[in-house]
Amino acid sequence: MAAILLRGLRSGKALRRFGSVLSAPAPPSPQCTNLNRGFHRAVLRLQDDSKSEKSSHTSSPRHEHYQASSSQHDTATASQYDSASDPAAEEEEGSARPNTSYQDQSGENEEEYETEEQLQVRILTAALEFVPLHGWSMEAIAAGAESLGLSSASTGMFYNGAGDLVLHFIAHCNSQLTEILSDQHKQVQLGQAEPKETADFLRDAIETRLRMYIPYIETWPQAMSILLLPHNIPDSLKHLSTLVDDIWYYAGDRSTDVSGSYHPRSPSSSAHSFLTPIHHHPDNIRPASSKMNWYTKRAALTGIFNTTELVMLQDSSPDFQDTWNFLDNRIQDIVNMASTAKQVQSTGEAVVQGLMGAAVTLKNLTGLNQRR
Amino acid sequence: MLRSYFIACLCFRAVPLQQSVRAYSVVPPPRDAEEKEMLHRILRVDHAGEYGANRIYAGQMAVLGRSRTGPMIQEMWDQEKKHLKKFSEILAENRVRPTALLPLWNVAGFVLGASTALLGKEGAMACTVAVEESIAEHYNSQIRVLMERDPERFTELLLLIKEFRDDEMEHHDTGLEHDAESVPGYWLLKNAIQLGCKAAIYVSQRV
Repeated sequence: MAAILLRGLRSGKALRRFGSVLSAPAPPSPQCTNLNRGFHRAVLRLQDDSKSEKSSHTSSPRHEHYQASSSQHDTATASQYDSASDPAAEEEEGSARPNTSYQDQSGENEEEYETEEQLQVRILTAALEFVPLHGWSMEAIAAGAESLGLSSASTGMFYNGAGDLVLHFIAHCNSQLTEILSDQHKQVQLGQAEPKETADFLRDAIETRLRMYIPYIETWPQAMSILLLPHNIPDSLKHLSTLVDDIWYYAGDRSTDVSGSYHPRSPSSSAHSFLTPIHHHPDNIRPASSKMNWYTKRAALTGIFNTTELVMLQDSSPDFQDTWNFLDNRIQDIVNMASTAKQVQSTGEAVVQGLMGAAVTLKNLTGLNQRR
Repeated sequence: MLRSYFIACLCFRAVPLQQSVRAYSVVPPPRDAEEKEMLHRILRVDHAGEYGANRIYAGQMAVLGRSRTGPMIQEMWDQEKKHLKKFSEILAENRVRPTALLPLWNVAGFVLGASTALLGKEGAMACTVAVEESIAEHYNSQIRVLMERDPERFTELLLLIKEFRDDEMEHHDTGLEHDAESVPGYWLLKNAIQLGCKAAIYVSQRV
């Protein structure tokens, strides 16, 4: 019974997707959204029940079900057409429901089960090829959709227009960088590569990440200005912060280790000491510095990344050599600042101790220390 | 053999660094964004709480360190240091953002500890009683939340919080034994401190 409903729903969804791609979808009304959501939730619950029944289905009852379902299927699809297309609910259901269960059961139905989100990703990835031609705009997205064989009216899916394209590109670059960094990390853990010094690691990571912009460098100013639009700022800040967090994480930042006890990257990383000056004496706990290190490190790296990006935009040297020199200098600045801070702090401590010693000496000399 | 197991795990997981070298983590990987947010809040505020307690004891030691109660306060402080270390490790493993207000708790905790210690040994004990009671109550409510959610998945985390809560209750009882209630204005002092703790907890969860 549950199988019938679900199969009807699935075919209804396929037909509905066709309809939405060929014509601009109407914006969903709130009540229909809730109805759809409720319906989908019920479907998910039924699906959980049906999973246990799945094993008892054999081929002959399946045929029966299929014939019985054709009448059910009409009523199911009718109720689907009543509500307008709803990308959010579809996305929720599509991502929650695993793909494999029904493909096993219905040998005759081989369709690719794709969510709205995956379709958007495909279109945007295809659109990236047209960016040098059309810039970061809806034309590029339309061209991308057409290159996939879809109607250019499917750009109606993208409510944020060019912003969607830029944000997608940035997310894509970030995930590529994360992959590269985790591969390197694996290599180090397997002993096949030497761990890098922190400064070198940061420089390489940022250089790798910025090199991903090189194919689009002509139009990148336009992309940056799109990212500065008020409704895009939260998303772009989020991407930036996850990027910086990832880089520091793979650089081995565990800004919490007191006395260096827990350090998965490498036990003898003197490389790491330049920004954790405090915790070499176990009793001298000043945890504020180690955790504020978390913030200051990320702020510093964000600054370096943004300024280097801007330098890259106006760089005309061969292979952007000026940019990488600038990056080197900035990272060197941070290293110098950190060691200076360390020196200032130890000097300060020495001065305080000296003063205390002088005070005690004075008290002794004037006899204030004696009990009478 | 163990090494190949680790390597296999690294290859299969999408986020290999989530696994610590010990292959044992107190906090289970969150299933969705909402649970991640909840877990991160819990860990963030616990870390901030232990850090604040650390600073309070530091303040008390600065004043009373050479008195008769010095060794007892030092012992309680050492236990808090242990708690803080544990939470710091958990934060690093799970990539939780620490609260940005840590410098504030640094100063505020030290000032609170030092000023109550200036009222004498009883003042310091009263401060301990108030703070430990707030913390124990807070841990209890976290235990309730996690139990409601899914006791089996969060077993290790629950055991950890329970252990720390028991330690804090022990400090609370120690404080009571050592004449906390005989400080003048005990009721006022205790409630003021507890109000401050509640505010600190509320803010640390969010900022």
